[in-house]
Amino acid sequence: MNVVVAIKKVVDTSEAADVVEVDAAGKDISKAGLVSRLNDWDGYALEEGLRWREKLGGTATALTVGPRDWDDVLRTALAMGADAAVRVDEDAASMDCRSVARILATAIGKLPHDLVLFGAQSEDFGSAQLGPMVAQMLGLPHATLVVGLDVNDDRVHVSREIEGGARELYTLTLPALLTIQTGLNRPRYVSFSRIKRAREKEIGVTTLHELGLSSADLVPSVTLERLELTPAGRRAMLISGNPEEAAGALATLLKESGVI
Amino acid sequence: MGDILVVAEHRGGQLAAVSLEMLSKGRELANHCGGQVAAVVIGKDADRYARRLAQHADTVVVVDHHGLEDSPAEPSQRVLSSIVSERKPKLVLMGHTSFAMDLAPALAVELGAALATDCLDVSARDGVFRVTTAPYNGKVRAVYAFAPSDIIIVTGRAGSFPVEQAQGQGDIEVLEYDVEQDGQRKVFEGYVEPEASDVDIAQAKVVVSVGRGIKDSDKLELAEELASALGGVVACSRPIVDYGWLPAGRQVGQSGKTVTPKLYVALGISGAFQHVVGLTGAKMIVAVNKDPHAPIFGVADYGIVGDLFEVVPALTQKVRELKA
Ligand SMILES: Cc1cc2nc3c(=O)[nH]c(=O)nc-3n(C[C@H](O)[C@H](O)[C@H](O)COP(=O)(O)OP(=O)(O)OC[C@H]3O[C@@H](n4cnc5c(N)ncnc54)[C@H](O)[C@@H]3O)c2cc1C
Ligand SMILES: Nc1ncnc2c1ncn2[C@@H]1O[C@H](COP(=O)(O)O)[C@@H](O)[C@H]1O
Repeated sequence: MNVVVAIKKVVDTSEAADVVEVDAAGKDISKAGLVSRLNDWDGYALEEGLRWREKLGGTATALTVGPRDWDDVLRTALAMGADAAVRVDEDAASMDCRSVARILATAIGKLPHDLVLFGAQSEDFGSAQLGPMVAQMLGLPHATLVVGLDVNDDRVHVSREIEGGARELYTLTLPALLTIQTGLNRPRYVSFSRIKRAREKEIGVTTLHELGLSSADLVPSVTLERLELTPAGRRAMLISGNPEEAAGALATLLKESGVI
Repeated sequence: MGDILVVAEHRGGQLAAVSLEMLSKGRELANHCGGQVAAVVIGKDADRYARRLAQHADTVVVVDHHGLEDSPAEPSQRVLSSIVSERKPKLVLMGHTSFAMDLAPALAVELGAALATDCLDVSARDGVFRVTTAPYNGKVRAVYAFAPSDIIIVTGRAGSFPVEQAQGQGDIEVLEYDVEQDGQRKVFEGYVEPEASDVDIAQAKVVVSVGRGIKDSDKLELAEELASALGGVVACSRPIVDYGWLPAGRQVGQSGKTVTPKLYVALGISGAFQHVVGLTGAKMIVAVNKDPHAPIFGVADYGIVGDLFEVVPALTQKVRELKA
């Protein structure tokens, strides 16, 4: 079974809110001083794709649309066990989702694919659009927010998460595209030495031209006008002091308000 | 400016609150810019929602189909693409729900429509539609403008658009569609309700909740001790369940539980939108986070900016002393 997993690189802002700033162009945050890594959701998608490829044979290809410094997430994928890695050399960050989807659909169309996996959404602009867009472009059945899957001959049974922890069950005929929600597996640990060894593996770099696309195929329908820091809608009364003092003051407040 | 179509969603006999929010927004935009507002509701017995929707909409289109109890996205896409192609609304609005996440991007491609998802605001000025989103987990706000010619699809974040009082009485149309499942390439097999949990966090009076800031499953003890001092239970954000450190029944948020305690204590939780939607019923929220800009401080009543590994043991100690 041939698996393709679409992955991307994001900056990790989870613990860095106080250093997040809008960059000079006003169209993204300033990345200086922030660590970049594989999109969280894509790690789960890769793990799932690799497990099915290990079980059923075939190939697993990791695919990204990004600049050269995104090669390292492809290397992570290779170190995890992907057979091939392909990068379409374009700055996806400056495109609208439909254009990135068009590129991915074209690239996937040229790769052997029975099971196509995407992350449910990206951590940066988090649009959750690309998977189902690409499925529609390729004419594949799809399911999003998948938290469980089982491949059986030419079918895949999936469980997708809906609100409140409930699930919907579907059966899709392969080839199919799924977007993966966090938590459906435990992504394998890759040691630094494996990543280093993966440096010797080749990354297939391709261009829009080689894919037969031109800028006329990539007309944006939405344009980012501006970005600003979220206004500090501070509601909380912050309790100051060292941990002891702050904890003491908070405990007293809880007592006074009758919750303890 | 053109007409507005709002896709209403329902499950288990209930209309989604976000659908009324989007409908109110649609009404407001139409009042400003002209055009008609239509609501579409799809599914078995969908007509039972028609009256409620007609209070806000000029027309309610009921697509009563018997194949499915509720409205999974896949057959709905075919119904909606035919309705949109026929009626040519300028703007299609729906809630940013698991249903819309499956449906809206595919529908946009099928219709050649422009799409923006998870929006906190939608506006129309001088013929240009704009939306606001919250990238990087809410740390920034982004404003997008749509190209003028396209049909536009917008999914809106729950709780972002107030539901207005409305006493209108729009027309109700019932349509019959033949919604065979898509050549059997995607077959709906049913729903699974969440498993019963060991501890019912939804009913607890005090909830001590841990997030990724706890770093290590061994450290959950800190939260358990505080919870026991406060007479409460331990809950968590999603990553803690994803890592297998606590069972799914302990998760608070959009894909977990909604809690209604007297006191909710958030330890090392950033306050992502999908988490805090589960807190709307909490009377008092207290947060401990080392990041003074963490969005959780935007919803909490009291906050301590600090290292939870120092603050929590001290707090447990003080609570015990005050209770003794
Ligand atoms: C469809 C969908 C559904 C989702 N449903 C849910 C849901 O139901 N519930 C949910 O919770 N999430 C849900 N999420 C995920 C959500 O978007 C966030 O990713 C998640 O809530 C983040 O969890 P967190 O706050 O624990 O982690 P992070 O965002 O990583 O935050 C960790 C926080 O800990 C702080 N911290 C770190 N170290 C310390 C320390 N020593 N002391 C004090 N503070 C510290 C950091 O400053 C940071 O603010 C969903 C996402 C999607 C796409
Ligand atoms: N530039 C890209 N290259 C390859 N895959 C991508 C890219 N951007 C997004 N994706 C995939 O699409 C998923 C959803 O992204 P998004 O629609 O941006 O939230 C991600 O989890 C990835 O699997």
